[in-house]
Amino acid sequence: MTELAIALRDVVWRVHGRTVLDIASLDVRAGERIALVGPNGAGKSTLLRVLAGDVMPAHGSVTVLNRQLASTLSGPQRRAWRRNVGQVFQGLHLVTRLTAMDNTLIGALGRFHGWRSWFRLYPSAVRQQACEALRAVGLLGQMHTRADRLSGGERQKVAIARLLLQQPQLILADEPTAALDPAAAGDVCRLLLQAAQQATLLTVVHNTTLLSQLADRVIGLRQGRIAFDLPVGQVDDRALLALYHGDHQRPSERLGGVLPDTVYVQTQELI
Amino acid sequence: MSASEYSAAPTDTHVGQTLLRGRAGFVMLTLVYVALVAICLGSLISAGDLSIGRNPWANLLKTASEFSYPSFLDVWFGETALEYRSDDGRVLRVENRREVELAYLAGLARATWTTITIATLGSLLGAMLALPLAVLTARNLHAPKVLAWCAKGILDVSRSIHTLVFGLVLVGIVGLGPTAGILAIALHSMGTYGKLFAESIEALDMAAIHAVQSVGAEPIQVFFNAIWPAVLPQFVSSHLYIWEFNIRDSTILGMIGAGGLGLLITEAISLFQWGRLATVLLVVTILVMSFDALSRRIRRSLS
Repeated sequence: MTELAIALRDVVWRVHGRTVLDIASLDVRAGERIALVGPNGAGKSTLLRVLAGDVMPAHGSVTVLNRQLASTLSGPQRRAWRRNVGQVFQGLHLVTRLTAMDNTLIGALGRFHGWRSWFRLYPSAVRQQACEALRAVGLLGQMHTRADRLSGGERQKVAIARLLLQQPQLILADEPTAALDPAAAGDVCRLLLQAAQQATLLTVVHNTTLLSQLADRVIGLRQGRIAFDLPVGQVDDRALLALYHGDHQRPSERLGGVLPDTVYVQTQELI
Repeated sequence: MSASEYSAAPTDTHVGQTLLRGRAGFVMLTLVYVALVAICLGSLISAGDLSIGRNPWANLLKTASEFSYPSFLDVWFGETALEYRSDDGRVLRVENRREVELAYLAGLARATWTTITIATLGSLLGAMLALPLAVLTARNLHAPKVLAWCAKGILDVSRSIHTLVFGLVLVGIVGLGPTAGILAIALHSMGTYGKLFAESIEALDMAAIHAVQSVGAEPIQVFFNAIWPAVLPQFVSSHLYIWEFNIRDSTILGMIGAGGLGLLITEAISLFQWGRLATVLLVVTILVMSFDALSRRIRRSLS
């Protein structure tokens, strides 16, 4: 039996009477590629934040990488565990005044301690790794460019280079391509998959055309609950439309059976 | 929906907030301000304190003429053999005005350097004292509540006590001289530094901090890798600004015996040497202006 990367049991979280998360059971095996889909407010990002240990649900147990998450984790314990969980965010999550190289090297902070790390005096082996990572994402030429001088796609690639240096066992990506044009989005997805070769990957996806590229298993969330959990081959437009519109509607007729990338926005206009 | 529903008065309980909202609120605030100014003027007039003396024009002209011949001109134009005579016409002393004024200028240069020293060292000490307090008070860094309150208290106290007051107290403790001046400048500007530093930390991009935390970095690593590089330009800019301010402040510190130009100012005033006062004030103006221009240029190139 393969090792479990994530195990959620009876996770319930309500805020002001609204269910944010209600997941009876969710298992993710190590090495799986998962895509999370669902309308805005379905709990996708909240689930990622729970898995990243940023928030704790009021009820239930969350086990990530064989460690049961609890608010009682001490600082060093939490840091040691975070080192194995890589995160890619939607927007700009780089230190803007540092160069691409220095931003990449931040990935090594989890395993490189002491006063030398305060002044970014990394050992040459770590610097070499960072160069490799930047080469892998095709930004070696811009290693000395400050992050705020890079384009959106390049910034996201630096974030992935940072991930390569961090070498996490689990990668949580929250709409990593949301702000990018299609070409850059394709690039970033490819690189993200490369970075996740030795890891489990959970991606929140809005652009459903990227599903087959990014995942082998798709979990649909709706109002905090799991609406479906299918291999990517079995996810069709009907399932996705039902997820985004609710079961009682027949939106496939309204949309002419086509699922556009921005299904949620168009839906709002139709209703 | 009927028109009456649109015009219905808001029923929320925050009357104070509703009053201060929108254009009516601005008019209200303006009226309050005008009333305050009127009360201030009224109280002065009723106490009979609003007066410009008996012959202000003559006094003004007299002062202007006294200031119009700064003493340093004597270095070139002074009498080489000025005779001081007693009432019966005996020559008491012969003085070369040019040499005397040259010696005074040398003393002025030393005092100016002391003033710059006080401002520079005092500012640096103030900034170093303020930095940890600013980190504790910045709301987005979530320092322990008790520590944050203490730090904020220290900064508030130091900001509300004037440099001169600190100076007077410190002269009593560490004695006359520039050390008291340095400490006074440091203790007062610490409050301003702390406030400015904390504000630039609070304006930080929290997303970047979160990203650095998410790789498992220790708090001190987060500080040096995410917070420090982001706030450094603002810190340098505030430092230059307050340093410049302290140059102005330290020119009067000598008045209370804390060293520097202020001593020469009090001396000139108490001996009614208006020409020398004019010279000192000229030096102060040039000093402040040149430091101002320098710091503005550096701050502009930082952005």
